[in-house]
Amino acid sequence: MEETLNLSELFKFLKKRIPLMLGIIALCVSISGYVSYTYLTPIYEASTQILISKQKEERNTFDSQDIQLNLQLINTYNVVITSRAILSRVIEKLELNMTPSDLQSSMRVSNQQNSQVVNIYVQDPNLQQAVNIANTTVEVFQEDIKRLMAVDNVQILSPAIFEENTKPIKPDPIFNMAVAGIVGVMLGAGISFLLEYFDTTVKSEKEMNDLFDVNVLGIISVISDKEVKKNNKKVKPISRRSRGGGYV
Amino acid sequence: MSKRKKIRLQMLGRKLIAFINPTSMISEQYRTVRTNIKFAMPDLDVKTILFTSASPGEGKSTTAANVGIVFAQEGKKVLLIDSDMRKPSMHYTFQTTNSPGLSNILSKQWSVADVIQKTFIEGLDIIPCGQIPSNPAELLGSSMLDSLINAMKVKYDVIIIDAPPVLTVADAQILANKCDGTILVVSTKKTKKESIIRAIEVLHSSKAKILGTVLNNYKIKSDGNYYHYYRSFELD
Repeated sequence: MEETLNLSELFKFLKKRIPLMLGIIALCVSISGYVSYTYLTPIYEASTQILISKQKEERNTFDSQDIQLNLQLINTYNVVITSRAILSRVIEKLELNMTPSDLQSSMRVSNQQNSQVVNIYVQDPNLQQAVNIANTTVEVFQEDIKRLMAVDNVQILSPAIFEENTKPIKPDPIFNMAVAGIVGVMLGAGISFLLEYFDTTVKSEKEMNDLFDVNVLGIISVISDKEVKKNNKKVKPISRRSRGGGYV
Repeated sequence: MSKRKKIRLQMLGRKLIAFINPTSMISEQYRTVRTNIKFAMPDLDVKTILFTSASPGEGKSTTAANVGIVFAQEGKKVLLIDSDMRKPSMHYTFQTTNSPGLSNILSKQWSVADVIQKTFIEGLDIIPCGQIPSNPAELLGSSMLDSLINAMKVKYDVIIIDAPPVLTVADAQILANKCDGTILVVSTKKTKKESIIRAIEVLHSSKAKILGTVLNNYKIKSDGNYYHYYRSFELD
C-alpha cells in the first residue's frame, strides 16, 4: 500500500472538507468577535508631544552642536519620563490607584530619528484618565527636569486633549477576527488531515482498485426515500414488464 | 394484484428494489453486478456464488437477494440459500417462514423438496435458514451440504448463498471453499481497509475463488444526471 498524494488529490480532498473548514473558520471568527466586543475592556490612548530645545538667551543662533547635544539628551529624557521619580509624583498628583510600574507599562515614549520632538503615549480604559495622565506626566517632567538636569529646554508642543468619539486602540475586533480567520484556516486544514488520516474506511471504487487485487464488480447506491416513493406508484406496470424478461 | 400482495410489496420496497422497481438506477447497478459476475468467470459456468462481507451489517443479504432477482429476471432459475445461522434474515425479506430450512436439511430432519419455498418472484426459490442450530460450523462443514449443492446444481442455473460475515465466524470460510465464487460486499465509508485485507486473506486461505467486491451504500454526488440517463434508457 503506497501512499502517494498529488496536488489534484489534495485539492479534491480539501474541496470535500470545505463545509467543515468553513465551519471552523466561522466558529473561530465569531468567538474572536464575540470576545473582542463583549469581554475585552476597550483601551484608549492619549498622546502628547514635547519639544526638546534649549532656550538660548545669550546667543540668538543655533549651531549644529547644540542640536546634537539636544538629540543626545533626548535619549536620557526618554528614560527619565517613565522613571519612578516622575511617575510616582504623577500618581500622587492625580491620586491614581496604581503603582509606578503599572503606569510605566501603560506608557510609551518615542521620538523620530534625529527629531527633537518626543511623543508620549498613555493607554487607559478611560480616555479622560489617559489624557490627564499624559498631560500631568509632561507637566511634572517639565518641572522636574529643571531640578534634575539643571536645564530648561522642555516645551509642551501639543498637550493631550479629550475628544469625544475617540475610538479605542485596543481591542481591534476586525484585526482579531482576521487573525482568528487565519488560525481557523490552519486549524480546519489540520483537522481535515487528521480526520483523513484516522478514517481508514473505503470511500471509492478507485481506492478499492488501488488497494486490493480484487475486481470491483459493481457499485450499489444508497436506496433513497425518493426512489422508494417512486416505486410505489409504478409497481404494477413495471413489475409486470420486467417479469416478462424485458431486461435480458 | 390482490390487496394483500400490494401491502406486502410496500413493505418490501426498500430491500427488494430490483423487483419493485426494475427501472431504477439501483436495479441497473445490480444488473451490472450480474454482468460482471458472468465476465469474472467466462470459462467456468458459475453455479454457486457466495455473498459475504468482512463485518456484519454491510449489506450482504440485500445484495444477495437483489442479485438473485436480477438473475431470475434474466430467465435463470435461481436458488437463494440463507446460510447465516447466527442471524438469519432472508425469511423476513421474502416474507416466508424461517423453518423448516437449511439447518433441517443438513441435520437430515427434512428432505430438500419439502424445504424449498417458491417466492413471488418467478424463477426465484429460497431455502431459509431454519431453526438456529447450536453447531452451525459443523453442520455447514458436513458432507450433507456438498450433496445438497450438487443436487441443486442440476435443478438450478444459479445458486446464491448468503453467508455470515467472514471475520466474525468461520462459517463463511467453510462455505467459500465449497462455492464456485465468492463475492465480498463492502460498505462504503463503513468497511475498514484493514478488514477488507484480512477478509481477502482469510478467503484466500480457505482456497475460495474471489470473484470480486461489490461496493455497497455508495453515495453518488450528482445523482440527477446519472439517474435520468438510466431512466430514459430503460423506458424507451
